[in-house]
Amino acid sequence: MRRKVFLLMVLAFAVVLAAGCQRGGEAGGGEGPIKIGAIFDLTGPTSDVGTPYADGIKGYVEWVNSKGGIEGRQIELLSSDYGYKVDVAEQLYSQFVQQGIVAFQGWGTGDTEALRSRIAADQIPFMSASYSHVLGNPKEAPYNFLVGTSYSHQAVIALRWIMDDWKAKGMDGMPKVAILHHDSPFGRSPVNDAIEFGKQNGIEITAIPLPKATDYTAELTQVQDFGAQYIIMHTVSSQAAIVAKNIRDQGLKDKFTVINLNWASDELFIQLAGDAAEGVYMVQPFTPPSSPVPGHEPMKEYLQGKGSSLDEKGLHFAQGWVTMEIMAEAIRKVIKEGKPVTGPNIKAALETFKDFDTQGLTYPITFTPESHWGNKGTHIYVVENGQMKRITQDYILATYP
Amino acid sequence: MDSGVFFTTYQADMALRRTPLQKLRLALFILFVLVFPFIGNNYGVFLMNQIGIATIGALGLNLLVGYTGQISLGQGAFLAVGAYTAGVLVTKLGVPWYVTLLIAPLFTAFVGAVFGIPSLRLKGLYLAIATLAAQEIIIWIVTHWDSVTGGVHALVVPPPMLFGVPINRDRYFYWLIWGTVGFTALTIANLLRTHYGRAFVAIRDHDIAAEIMGIDIFKYKVLAFALSSFYVGLAGALIAHWRSIVTWERFTIDVSIVYLAMIIIGGLGSISGSLFGAAFMTLLPAVINNVGMAFKDVFPRLEEWIPYLQQALFGLIIILFLIVEPRGLHKFWQDLKNYFKLWPFSY
Repeated sequence: MRRKVFLLMVLAFAVVLAAGCQRGGEAGGGEGPIKIGAIFDLTGPTSDVGTPYADGIKGYVEWVNSKGGIEGRQIELLSSDYGYKVDVAEQLYSQFVQQGIVAFQGWGTGDTEALRSRIAADQIPFMSASYSHVLGNPKEAPYNFLVGTSYSHQAVIALRWIMDDWKAKGMDGMPKVAILHHDSPFGRSPVNDAIEFGKQNGIEITAIPLPKATDYTAELTQVQDFGAQYIIMHTVSSQAAIVAKNIRDQGLKDKFTVINLNWASDELFIQLAGDAAEGVYMVQPFTPPSSPVPGHEPMKEYLQGKGSSLDEKGLHFAQGWVTMEIMAEAIRKVIKEGKPVTGPNIKAALETFKDFDTQGLTYPITFTPESHWGNKGTHIYVVENGQMKRITQDYILATYP
Repeated sequence: MDSGVFFTTYQADMALRRTPLQKLRLALFILFVLVFPFIGNNYGVFLMNQIGIATIGALGLNLLVGYTGQISLGQGAFLAVGAYTAGVLVTKLGVPWYVTLLIAPLFTAFVGAVFGIPSLRLKGLYLAIATLAAQEIIIWIVTHWDSVTGGVHALVVPPPMLFGVPINRDRYFYWLIWGTVGFTALTIANLLRTHYGRAFVAIRDHDIAAEIMGIDIFKYKVLAFALSSFYVGLAGALIAHWRSIVTWERFTIDVSIVYLAMIIIGGLGSISGSLFGAAFMTLLPAVINNVGMAFKDVFPRLEEWIPYLQQALFGLIIILFLIVEPRGLHKFWQDLKNYFKLWPFSY
């Protein structure tokens, strides 16, 4: 009995795998649906923000298909959860390529970096929610496209806002700034560029890594010893919330002005930090639902049909949606030009994007063959009564690097 | 009908493959490996490559855990040492890629030996914690030593060239990976027949008894760490050249645990078990993802539950495996062989 059950399991295993191997497909030259691959983190360490992002991508695809597709052609999204495991991401990527995808939606730093060389060899345009500056350089990563503002650009934007704020407060000279960052390559990503920009403008900057911990009093003491008036926080929401609470508990709220970069600038941070979030400034390349823009309308309409709402899903839904929209718009261009929908053609179409209007969801997107940093400006928000409130009239642009 | 396997010469008794059936099975397996790239599609070849690399790593780990009885949670880190050494040698020092396939494992062996030193005083769970330290320390170093490991920029490794052809495409690299699997399996199988291998097994079974018999425990334990890390480093170097990029997130603690799971599910102290375990742990996520995707097409309403069901299924299958066959796939394979050997007159 035991043996039979076992044999059956092994057999079922083999059958499913063989079926998976067999599901081939032609690349998108013909008239069938356009296949796009996607991996999501729905169960791994970043699933808190990965889930609404994934819903945004899937939502856009469903919405555009319901409106008749792209120039009459449907999108077929091949997607699966990968739990932030690099090996699984590679497996899924390889399988989707076998099934004939022409473009790919990734998620985190882990998979984006691991697949960088491979997508270039396979000529598969790639977008993800990892905005490391290097990914926008076509010499280093020819098939990666950044829809969000790169971390380096975000840090420069934060510094430019700090300079304005300092002046507006009627202070002389330049402030001192501490960058508190996630203790990983993701966290250190913008540090050198920020320090360099600081040097050019006479801002003294120190960078302090935040190790995994539940209390950051020691790091805040370092910030005080350094004499910083501003803190730029580049980490994930859960860690940033702990720091924000430490600042509140030690009565340091009046001493520092805190400004978060995008992965700590969301509804999750506000929810986790509670009243400690009040008065925290935020650099966020994607317009949150609390600052309605015309670009939010299709999402609202789609989510209403699903019995949900954009306020419930949050800004990461919009982030996933607009990322997929830009990929879809590039495919639309390819079809309109009468070319076959292939990776190199989508890349070429993306590289003609000039000030593409996302209806206020982001700064207008521009890609060129020399620059895949599509989004070089953001608004600044402040947390007020548990909501992200926009404080800038115009986008602040990244002037460096 | 055999009533047993009897040998009349020492040579026959010592042979790696002792019966014609064993030889036939091995020949069939080798034939499968040789033919597969010509019949399999790209995805299949990619999976075989993943299995091959996992097999090399699992064989290395099995040498340490399964044969010598020294538990290690540092597998991911030792893979990282191999991968980063190979990558740095090629990109920073211009060493030809094939030379790194020797230097990187040797360096990993050295690092492994250093982290194996505590094994003199520590056993079991305590040693596991010491190797966990190795995992944390090494990953900390590779994520913070930006000038060498590339930091945020990751370490982009130029494709390995052979006769002017970049061989990091799956179908070419297949031969290198499976050639290395053959080399690894053969050297480990032979190693276990030498006095080194016997010393390892003696230490595993009873270290005090082994010491009384005159085995220098410290020497052999460190040697086991070094040899094990050699093969793990080899797997790491292959990853670097195959994927053309080395990033730290490939070598986290999860990876160490997955490798431990491979050798436990495959069978501790077994060469074929390492292969079974590597294949199982590589294919299981692929199977589960495919089941999930097929399920999504059939029951679109359940879509948002599928990722969680997948996770549950993953855990359930592993638990079931351990309950049904706690000694691993290797034992299952032996039972199966015996069943057919004795069929229909099994007792």
